[in-house]
Amino acid sequence: MKEVLEGSHAVSEAVRLARAKVISAYPITPQTHIVEALSEYCADGSLDARFICVESEHSAMASCIGAASAGVRTFTASSSHGLALMHELLHWASGARLPIVMAEVNRALGPGWNIWMDQSDSLSQRDTGWIQLYCETAQEVLDTTLQAYRLAETVNLPVMVVLDAFFLSHTYEPVDIPDQQSVDKFLPSFEPRISLDQQNPNAIGQMAPPAYYMEMRHSIQMAMQSVMEHFIDVERQFEHVFGRSYGPITPFACDDAQYIFLMAGTSASTCRQAINSLRDKGHKVGVIKLKMFRPFPYQDVRKILKHAKKVIVLDRNCSFGAGGIFAQELRSAMYASDRHPQIFSFISGLGGRDVTVDHFFEMFDRIEKADYPDDESVWIGLNP
Amino acid sequence: MSQSIQTQPPNNVSLLISQSRTNTLGNKTGTWRFVRPKYQEKTAPCSNACPLGIDVAMVEMFASRKDYQNALNTVLMENPFPAICGRVCFHPCESACNRQFLDQSVGIHHIERFIGHWGLNRTNISCKYPEFNGASIAIIGAGPAGLSVAYFARRLGYRCDIFEKSDNPGGLLKYGIPSYRLPDRILMDELHRLDDEGIQFKYAQSISMDQINALKQQYDALFLCCGDANSITLKISGEQFSIDGLDLLRQIRSNQMPLIEGTVAVIGGGNTAIDVARSVLRMGAHPVILYRRTRKEMPAHPHEIDAALSEGVLLKECLSPIDIQKNTNLFEVSFQRMKPGEKTNEGRQTYIPDGNRRETITFNHVVSAIGAEMDIMWRNELWDLSLSHCRMKKIEDQPVFWCGDLTTSEKTVTHALASGKQAVIAWDVMQNQKENEIHTICHQCQVGKGPALSFDIYTKGDRKNRNNTEIVKFEHVNTAYFPNIPAVQINKISQESCQNSFDEVISGFNESQMIEEATRCFNCGICNDCDTCRIFCPEMAIQWDNTTRHILMDYCKGCGICIEECPRDAMKLEVEP
Repeated sequence: MKEVLEGSHAVSEAVRLARAKVISAYPITPQTHIVEALSEYCADGSLDARFICVESEHSAMASCIGAASAGVRTFTASSSHGLALMHELLHWASGARLPIVMAEVNRALGPGWNIWMDQSDSLSQRDTGWIQLYCETAQEVLDTTLQAYRLAETVNLPVMVVLDAFFLSHTYEPVDIPDQQSVDKFLPSFEPRISLDQQNPNAIGQMAPPAYYMEMRHSIQMAMQSVMEHFIDVERQFEHVFGRSYGPITPFACDDAQYIFLMAGTSASTCRQAINSLRDKGHKVGVIKLKMFRPFPYQDVRKILKHAKKVIVLDRNCSFGAGGIFAQELRSAMYASDRHPQIFSFISGLGGRDVTVDHFFEMFDRIEKADYPDDESVWIGLNP
Repeated sequence: MSQSIQTQPPNNVSLLISQSRTNTLGNKTGTWRFVRPKYQEKTAPCSNACPLGIDVAMVEMFASRKDYQNALNTVLMENPFPAICGRVCFHPCESACNRQFLDQSVGIHHIERFIGHWGLNRTNISCKYPEFNGASIAIIGAGPAGLSVAYFARRLGYRCDIFEKSDNPGGLLKYGIPSYRLPDRILMDELHRLDDEGIQFKYAQSISMDQINALKQQYDALFLCCGDANSITLKISGEQFSIDGLDLLRQIRSNQMPLIEGTVAVIGGGNTAIDVARSVLRMGAHPVILYRRTRKEMPAHPHEIDAALSEGVLLKECLSPIDIQKNTNLFEVSFQRMKPGEKTNEGRQTYIPDGNRRETITFNHVVSAIGAEMDIMWRNELWDLSLSHCRMKKIEDQPVFWCGDLTTSEKTVTHALASGKQAVIAWDVMQNQKENEIHTICHQCQVGKGPALSFDIYTKGDRKNRNNTEIVKFEHVNTAYFPNIPAVQINKISQESCQNSFDEVISGFNESQMIEEATRCFNCGICNDCDTCRIFCPEMAIQWDNTTRHILMDYCKGCGICIEECPRDAMKLEVEP
């Protein structure tokens, strides 16, 4: 059934359909609508879950960790400073191998106080052992949230579903809401591999001295390395039930492209418009939308970029002192490839500033003329 | 201590987490401790303020659980008449209540009244008095103090004979307090608590000092509880035209309704003046209270003044009567206008005549209610024992106790009851050949800072295990556990009914209101089994064995979290012995 939904509520609907049992969250703009709707679902009985109000995001994640350790499906959502406050427990969730799903609404960090779109918050958490999936449309948000539970529960790693503040979270779009029966078919009830059992008491998250610790970390990495295989399988089953799939990356007009843009999130839509115009002018350009960031889809990216001359990476974030984070990741992904294109790093659209079609033209103009990329990321759209 | 468990999931995803099935009992965290928690109940400020030292926190706890039997037993331990005190006591407990610093004091007296009322309807649970111990006492006066002496003395095994000059028990309760505050049937029902062959009332026995000598031959001790029987007179010209306030109240209570109509001057500022004014209002007259100072200085209880004014009683301040003239059926009262003078050393505002400013007002009746004093024959100066609420003098080696209004500084029903209790404890100590230990033993039975004594402590009840000197302060209540909840409003009859009848003004709580209000009580200083200590103990060192909690010292690391969390300051931290 198609309904016009706010991106935030696409998440809420998915969590309801996934029959999460424990939801714990602390409100923060622009995440609030997600958990607000969920609290209403809990109150009106349309979702049989316990909504735990907490005093901080740190406690929200702690509640989810507790509930997931007891073997139930859990959900939380956060953003920006809230996600930063959760940091310690993000490590704990993955270290404890708990399949927690979180919606993360990309928002800038202060100061200057800013509630708008920016990728710095989620990318600051890239090393916490969470799978990160970036979305472009409200439909993709709903679908990815459902997939996230399947994936998390298969590999025993937590998943962060990332959506752009306001561009996605507060924008209304037609969304096909699947029926509960189909969702139950795709996502059966949770059968936890780790759960506290009163009949057979045990302590989890115990001290792990040098003789044990390293293997546990290796196990996380092994699980991460298996994610791609399981993600493809999850998507195949999702497509079988719902007729939609996305892939870890979404290439557009890349088959014969010499110049390929790469980015995550909603700006990919704007970029496709720019591609169409540039193609009309005879430029062989394409774009890759990066959905999966952790684990990084090396193979998929390498395959598409194999014949490209130049890659233009748009980062709506900055690792100060090193530049755009997606660009860095792409450079390291391509380094081992026998053929690698020149990689141009651009930073734009921080703190909710629009990235327009003209900005993409400007990036294209610059790289077309340049023989080599600059060492430093180039900032586009700065005020004069 | 730790072991890792490899779980091989069906899909071959690596899953290695730290997990252990070894328990932590081997980790004796108690060795880290240098201070230790202890369950130590303390005294609630309400109990400290109560002249009778009632264990209010415990009463409210039982009441909130609908355990009325235990609530009643707890009250009756210290107070024979909860249905009366719940109505007439000026509830100093509520002025001391810690809850006032959060939102509003708990309506303790309304709860006491409910519990008392519950007891009235259950005669089967009236007091079980013990066997006689062989000694007997005589009590002069069946007012609150005398009834209290009988109640507490009988509970210690003494035979009691009460000599009362009127034909009914109750004294001031019967004749002094109007029925809109204390209905007669409540008084009578409460007095059934003294129905016992060991308590004999002897009516129409007016005892003078001369007869004391004869009486003491027959009894082991005498208790003088005859109250302030004589009204203080105005000592102005024409005072013979004034009606005595206490007499008027007595007539009204005896249903000999005197004809009072038109405007009535009520001279005085105490509770009797208020009682008179509110009574004549109900008889259709228009009372005016005339007081020589201002409302602020009136000795009457502020609640009573508010009630009187709201019912339509008028108050004229700074008027001191100097003369009453009769003019046919009317009385012309001349007043001297007063003005504030200097303050006394104690900071009390004095009032002095404002030059020659005079005022004459005409009334249909003049009632004098400026106080009462004891009969001159009971006056005495040299005492063998002097306590806060009673005195004792040996007459030919036989103890005679002066109780109630004869000795208390505050002349209220509750202080009179407290006086009776104190005198009985002192007497019992003497009977046990420990006369020189009276002060020490009274001190041991003291509730909070005193002077209230606990009969429970005296008779070696559970309350003796409490820290009876440490009073719980509001700062030590963990208010995180107490959201703001306003006090339950009490039901009252309409203004119109007040003006037309002697029906009881305050209707009291119904059961759900009472429970709601009792639940507001912090239960300062007592353990109400909330289990917070056990839930918060990070070492699970607090164990509950279905009756009590105890602390496993092998595991208690002395972190003090239980004490910090205890909502009601029922625990304390001690240095390791």
